Amino acid sequence: MEQIKITVNGIEMTGNKGDTILNIAAKNGVEIPNLCYSPNLRLYGACGLCLIEAEGMPKLMRACSAVANDGMVLSTETERVKKARKIALELIMSDHEGDCVAPCSLNCPAHTDIQGYLKQIALGNDSEAVRIIKEKISIPASIGRVCPHPCESNCRRRLVEEPLSIAFLKAFAADRDLESDAPFKAVCEAATGKKVAVIGGGPAGLNAAYYLCLSGHDVTIYDAMPEMGGMLRYGIPEYRLPKDVLRKEIKAIADLGVKMVNNTKIGKDISFDEIRNSADAVLVTVGAWKGSSVGCKGEDLDGVLSGIDFLREVNMGNIPDIGKNVAVVGGGNTAMDACRTAVRCGAENVYVIYRRTRAEAPAEDIEIEEAIEEGVQFLFLTNPDEIVGENGKVKEVRLQIMELGEPDASGRRKPVPVEGEFRTLSVDTVISAIGQKCAPAGLEAIELTNRGTILADATTCMTNLDGVFAAGDATNKGASIAIDAIAEANTAAKAINAYLLGMPMDFPEPYYSQRKVTAEMLADREKKARAVMPVKAPEYRKNNFESVINGFSEEQAREEAKRCLECGCHDFKDCKLIRYANEMPISPERLSGAKHECYKEQRLVSIERDQGKCILCNLCVRTCKKNAGKGILGLVGRGFRTVIKPEFDNPDTVAVCKDCHMCADLCPTGALKILG
Amino acid sequence: MRIVIGAGSCGIAAGAGKVHNAIESLMTENEVFTLGSTGCIGMCFLEPIVDLYDGKTLVRRLVKVRASDAENIVNAARTGDLSLVDSITISADDEEFLTRQTRIALRHCGLIDPVSLEDYRAADGYEALEKVLKTMTPEEVIEEIKVSGLAGRGGAGFPTWFKWNAARQSVSDTKYLICNADEGDPGAFMDRAVIESDPHTLIEGMLIGAYAIGAKEMIVYVRAEYPLAITHLEIAIEQAKKAKLLGENILGTSFSCNMRIKAGAGAFVCGEETALIESLEGKRGMPRLKPPFPAQKGYMDEPSNINNVETFANVAWIMNNGGAAFAAMGTENSKGTKVFALTGKIRKGGLVEIPMGKTLRDVIYGIGGGIRDDKEFKAVQMGGPSGGCIPKELLDTVIDYKALGATGAIMGSGGMVVMDESTCMVGMAKFFLDFTALESCGKCVHCRIGTRRMQEILTRIVKGEGKEGDIELLEELCDAVKDGALCGLGQTAPNPVLTTIRYFRDEYEAHIKDKKCPAKECADLLTYSIVADKCKGCTLCAKKCPAKAISGEVKNAHIIDTDKCIRCSMCINTCRFGAIITE
Repeated sequence: MEQIKITVNGIEMTGNKGDTILNIAAKNGVEIPNLCYSPNLRLYGACGLCLIEAEGMPKLMRACSAVANDGMVLSTETERVKKARKIALELIMSDHEGDCVAPCSLNCPAHTDIQGYLKQIALGNDSEAVRIIKEKISIPASIGRVCPHPCESNCRRRLVEEPLSIAFLKAFAADRDLESDAPFKAVCEAATGKKVAVIGGGPAGLNAAYYLCLSGHDVTIYDAMPEMGGMLRYGIPEYRLPKDVLRKEIKAIADLGVKMVNNTKIGKDISFDEIRNSADAVLVTVGAWKGSSVGCKGEDLDGVLSGIDFLREVNMGNIPDIGKNVAVVGGGNTAMDACRTAVRCGAENVYVIYRRTRAEAPAEDIEIEEAIEEGVQFLFLTNPDEIVGENGKVKEVRLQIMELGEPDASGRRKPVPVEGEFRTLSVDTVISAIGQKCAPAGLEAIELTNRGTILADATTCMTNLDGVFAAGDATNKGASIAIDAIAEANTAAKAINAYLLGMPMDFPEPYYSQRKVTAEMLADREKKARAVMPVKAPEYRKNNFESVINGFSEEQAREEAKRCLECGCHDFKDCKLIRYANEMPISPERLSGAKHECYKEQRLVSIERDQGKCILCNLCVRTCKKNAGKGILGLVGRGFRTVIKPEFDNPDTVAVCKDCHMCADLCPTGALKILG
Repeated sequence: MRIVIGAGSCGIAAGAGKVHNAIESLMTENEVFTLGSTGCIGMCFLEPIVDLYDGKTLVRRLVKVRASDAENIVNAARTGDLSLVDSITISADDEEFLTRQTRIALRHCGLIDPVSLEDYRAADGYEALEKVLKTMTPEEVIEEIKVSGLAGRGGAGFPTWFKWNAARQSVSDTKYLICNADEGDPGAFMDRAVIESDPHTLIEGMLIGAYAIGAKEMIVYVRAEYPLAITHLEIAIEQAKKAKLLGENILGTSFSCNMRIKAGAGAFVCGEETALIESLEGKRGMPRLKPPFPAQKGYMDEPSNINNVETFANVAWIMNNGGAAFAAMGTENSKGTKVFALTGKIRKGGLVEIPMGKTLRDVIYGIGGGIRDDKEFKAVQMGGPSGGCIPKELLDTVIDYKALGATGAIMGSGGMVVMDESTCMVGMAKFFLDFTALESCGKCVHCRIGTRRMQEILTRIVKGEGKEGDIELLEELCDAVKDGALCGLGQTAPNPVLTTIRYFRDEYEAHIKDKKCPAKECADLLTYSIVADKCKGCTLCAKKCPAKAISGEVKNAHIIDTDKCIRCSMCINTCRFGAIITE
């Protein structure tokens, strides 16, 4: 065979005379993007991704079909070529609704592969489920119990009846794994010799330490408290998260090789500089430990506590004397933790003072429900006007009666005082649970935001100090839920790893195709009720700190996991289209317009076809023609409305399908799925 | 005396059939005159046309003839008193429509009976074929075509000799010669006229081509929407077979060639040669990747040559008169003549054949008589949906492949749609994009989705929902589609958009920024109102308004509720006082 020489992107390569540019480049290790090409099928030339520029040629050429000539000088990465590829991808994406990733994962701050682990739980593979979870969350048994689960709020099953009980299923799998003979243990990469110091052993610090350790770094966590766990250990009450569970998960991290130093406060027991000098990178995850004060007259009286302080004391075993009548101010989860803890501390009358109504309360509804069951009295539409004391001690709290006015910036209706209407409540203790602040001490060199939190780069988590990173409640927007802190910690770990290895700290937001699904589109799904978590009776549980939940039975968990609709694309990991879409920044929304209707159909023997994902590359049509020997599939319709159907829309042709699955194997997206 | 009625599709549409019947009904058994028909002479604006011949001499051309004129015509033919038809005789001014033309491809159109082989032969028909088959080698034929400079008249303008030579050089026992008669450009109808009016010219031209490349089979791919053309061609093929002009041993030589017709189902993309081949093979009409070119692997994977009707219509003339005579006409890079289908807001619409090198002004004003209703010329769309518009400032552009290309338009197949001041150029671009987006075969991404997105953007602009940046986005899409589309349909689809942006950007901006249509054509951007001074309070508009948007007392000025107004223009068309205006 006669050989020719061509140059692609400055690389000289040889190939057979008569071969296409795409083939010669591929044989020499240069991939020219393509979606409609297969070496064994008739050339088609539809996708336009393989357009390349040849020196001396005014027009772009299709590398898939252009035969290489000796001496050709070609470029696959010039501005013109990249622009052409970008717009081709944008055009394709503007008519592709793929649901790359399920809405639960997309809405989980840590983007946990929920669909993946639910599948494993459904199949009974709890260890494999935990392996998948631990790609993102190092302490799943704990998080599964406490997470307010944005995943569930976005679970598409809610359009059928109710969302899946994702968080508790995660806890189920993690518990079973912890109790098993051989709990899942990830393998660390070879030691890099780099040291990382993590300041603060809460969910963010623990999680970052875990992934940094897995990457082969030498990690030490410093924490001011006697035990690791941060807010999970000292903020969340025992009845929600038994500390033994948390300890087991922390131990697993320590067993991996993460060093943990407790009772060490920065600026007191050790200086920040000392830590900085001891490590190649530092991650600050000190959390937000200062409760916001009530902000009314009398807030300095003896008997006024912050929710955070109250919960920490109880979690340390120091049950404070709160008296018989306790008022908790606030409507969030900390307020619920505080009021329910107050009940367990023996208070007879526990009131929750919240200036809006139950509907606006940020607390989980189940928390409010269970608090009411435990006897907590909710005084909605009230606001502390003054805490009245006697001998410097709280005696009563005067409440301003409120009503809801116009919606505010957050969209919630703004509470406004009803002039002249008050109510007085006799109380021994007022617990303020209206928010937490960050009070970083001993970290003066780090630049803060105007809200007093640590200023960290949104992409890299790096602070103003080189090599010092920050994540979690202490940074930027301030206190949030644990899974948010974990997500930030994951980003920080990735950035620190890149920083330590001298790699670019550039983490573009991945591009995903998303589908809008309505209840009508799921109307054919069989209804199956959400699993109910067995809980202890209110009369029993209000007197102790035992876990409220008893956990799912195995049968319950497996059945619940099977409710998953598997919204995410089965082909996501192998999808060529999404791979290309993530190789360059694209914005298909600027070309948004009409789309093909999304529907699924099963017209070939065991292939499900998802119209919304089809990009009309024609590979299925061509391979089918080749394998079945005659046309089964074909293009039907003209212009934008063209679709792939049985050839000439004749259903009889499908009878010839040999069930060879070649069409699904070649499909560059997830439009064709082999059933069964 | 002989009465000849122009009975092409256009003549029939204008009422030629009724005129024919009326004349026929007046004829007696031993009538002194004869009645015949001919094809289309190309003066669409004067149809139906009736010619009076004395022997071979045309003595009167009657225009816009009605059935009621039949008696006068018959009497004139019987008595020779032509003054009877003075009132319907063509004016000297209108005669110039033809006298200013130079006809080669259309040389027989409207002059001979299309379904009479004798007529065609009497007009030198098949003399060129005989000369070629008996005195020339295929190479000599190709050389003569090369000398003529004939280029493909279908749109791309590729040198004909080169394609013929490539097909000639391809080694195969089986080769095909294909005629592309899938004339799909809106506003183009010269190919229809040639086949309807002079089918033997096509057969003769194709036979010469088939001899040159070595083909034994010829196929005419003609759109099914041309029934009269198909009928005439079928008759002509039968006549040619009987006269040994088709089939085995043509004209007693060793050259044998057959011919058949394939009716296309009306997909615009099938005018693209590789899509046409797919369609001929019974497949979905979608373009193939080139190379291989049809000359290497065409119909049934055999070497094939495809030319358009008008191209073939020039061939016999070139063989009779010599390539040099053809090349003597035109400009340096564009030889011979070109047929244009002149339509739109033009005073005299029809088929115009002129030598290359004339200007657009010569065609539009010189031959076409300028704009209808004394309106202002705004632009001319050349080359249909694949072409572009040329504005007033460029009216002196020379008709030549290169000069037209430089304006952003193309020669194309010769469609010339003339627009006046009342045409919105954004709307015009949208019209063509509606067409191409619908006619895209759906194969390549750039055309399937790209034209659709362009169409959507244009639609929102004419609705007054255009956004800042839409013009730039259109330009970006246009460039991408030009670069990335697989075939000519997609590669040229952006041309109407690009040229209208180039020459009428201010109109786009007015739609987007001011939400106004300067041509007052985009209904969504118009506000209807009644000028109180002019309104007589006749209440007619209020009664006609389908949206009940007009109110007022009798004999008092009325008003339009713009919220209710659906901008249907019913009121404007109803008002006798010109009191209703749009802004």
